[in-house]
Amino acid sequence: MPHYLKIELLRMFRNKRYVIFVVVFPVVFYLLYSNLWGSEVDQATGVKASVILMVSMAAYGALAASIMSSAVPWAQERQSGWLRQLQITPLPGWAIITTKLIASMVLVLPSLLLVGLAAVLTQHVSLPVGEWFGLIGALWIGVIPFVALGLTIGSLLPPDTAQPVAMIGMFGLALLGGLWFPVDIMPSAMKSIAHVLPSYDYASIGWNIVAGDAPETSAVLGIAGWAVALGALAVLAYRRATVRA
Amino acid sequence: MNAIAFTGVTKKYGDVVAVDGLTLDIPIGSTVALLGPNGAGKSTSINMLLGLLRPTSGDIKVFGNGPDQAVTRGDIGAMLQEGSLIPELTVRESVDFIRRLYPDPLPLDEVLRMADLTDLAGRRADKLSGGQTQRVRFALAIAGGPKLLLLDEPTAAMDVESRRSFWDNMRAYAAQGRTIVFATHYLEEADENSDRVVVIARGQVVADGTAAEIKSGVAGHAVSFRLGSQSAAGLDALSGVSAVEIQADRVTLRTGDPDATVEALYRKTTLDVRDLQIHGADLEDAFLALTKES
Repeated sequence: MPHYLKIELLRMFRNKRYVIFVVVFPVVFYLLYSNLWGSEVDQATGVKASVILMVSMAAYGALAASIMSSAVPWAQERQSGWLRQLQITPLPGWAIITTKLIASMVLVLPSLLLVGLAAVLTQHVSLPVGEWFGLIGALWIGVIPFVALGLTIGSLLPPDTAQPVAMIGMFGLALLGGLWFPVDIMPSAMKSIAHVLPSYDYASIGWNIVAGDAPETSAVLGIAGWAVALGALAVLAYRRATVRA
Repeated sequence: MNAIAFTGVTKKYGDVVAVDGLTLDIPIGSTVALLGPNGAGKSTSINMLLGLLRPTSGDIKVFGNGPDQAVTRGDIGAMLQEGSLIPELTVRESVDFIRRLYPDPLPLDEVLRMADLTDLAGRRADKLSGGQTQRVRFALAIAGGPKLLLLDEPTAAMDVESRRSFWDNMRAYAAQGRTIVFATHYLEEADENSDRVVVIARGQVVADGTAAEIKSGVAGHAVSFRLGSQSAAGLDALSGVSAVEIQADRVTLRTGDPDATVEALYRKTTLDVRDLQIHGADLEDAFLALTKES
């Protein structure tokens, strides 16, 4: 299994779509946004926009990485016969989906770390060590529902459909979850949608941490609930995709 | 012990019967061709051997175990009909990955050599031609050093040259004492590359033996000559003749015993026999006779 994980990581790092959407986009947008608004200060928390944007763009990158590295590659492997190639080896079925989950989680790290690095180097963002660890740890563990969503899409849809659905899901969650624009400036209808999305809970945990606050219980429970629900869905979809008739 | 034992295996898809009470034993170390037209049930049988499909009824054993167990133990390697590779991985990476999933794999360099891939080892899968991809898929099938190798129409995407070297490679693998079962609808392939041909039609075994035995089992010999304007009356009564066909000025006598037929032709008729030809049965005739819809 470690070798399988290595192979999965290797191929994604060679995948242009992954590198552009996931590694380059968040960093570039962070540099752009933070140059425009980085020095503004949030009235309620006193946190500089350069720090809030760092959380938002890291969250966006992680969200994109988790969905992009799971949905479409997995749908392609099912359709191309690679899954069957694996099914006729001694590799157990659970190892396939477990490796996919772990690989996606590892592939989230470049976005988190590079956006953080960009923030430190260009905007001189500095946080207490504990907050850094808390932030990166929370944003890392918090991607589980998004990986589960990606694997569900990949298990249920053929690649042609999985591609647009994954894109819409990714940008929809990012936009409506307040990763691109603050939820506070959204119309009230959108605001109420935002508040039930896992992406909002996910990013708000990060915003709380950099404001020096403990994450809100509702956000933590929200993410955990989504992780359980989407995780169960992913397992069911995986079973359906690999059923032996 | 048998490598493969099918006992009364039936597979239905709704009302369609793909495999119909198949009973077949394949001893360890043999190379067997499953020969049949499209839709005969060859692929379904192979997929059931791999545990990818479950029989509706009947029992399948691979080295005495169920198919799932055989797969888990790494006893089976297979090259299925379609299948592409991970585009971003090189030949070496893909082969090595699959190889390491097996408990007792072949050395990587040996696998690459046996599949003629040594020179392509560093190439990414998305830069390979169709024939090269097939070679990699063959390499993936043998990488784990499986005791049983299943090949489902392996040469379908290959040109003539690749086909020949493919079968050479397969025979080299078979020579290591492995059991090989391949499905094909190419008759020459079955004839040249197996030591036993199992003809399957409509989900059942319709003939089973060496290629020579199968040929001789059908009255596939033919004696033909130029008849011109002479009468064909009485030819059907000659020794061995099972059918008389006339095309233009030529008559063809289908016979199970060409020697007797020719002798009778000269001794018992007064015909002026010109341009005599005797055709042996080829596997194609046998195959068509056996698989014809009854």
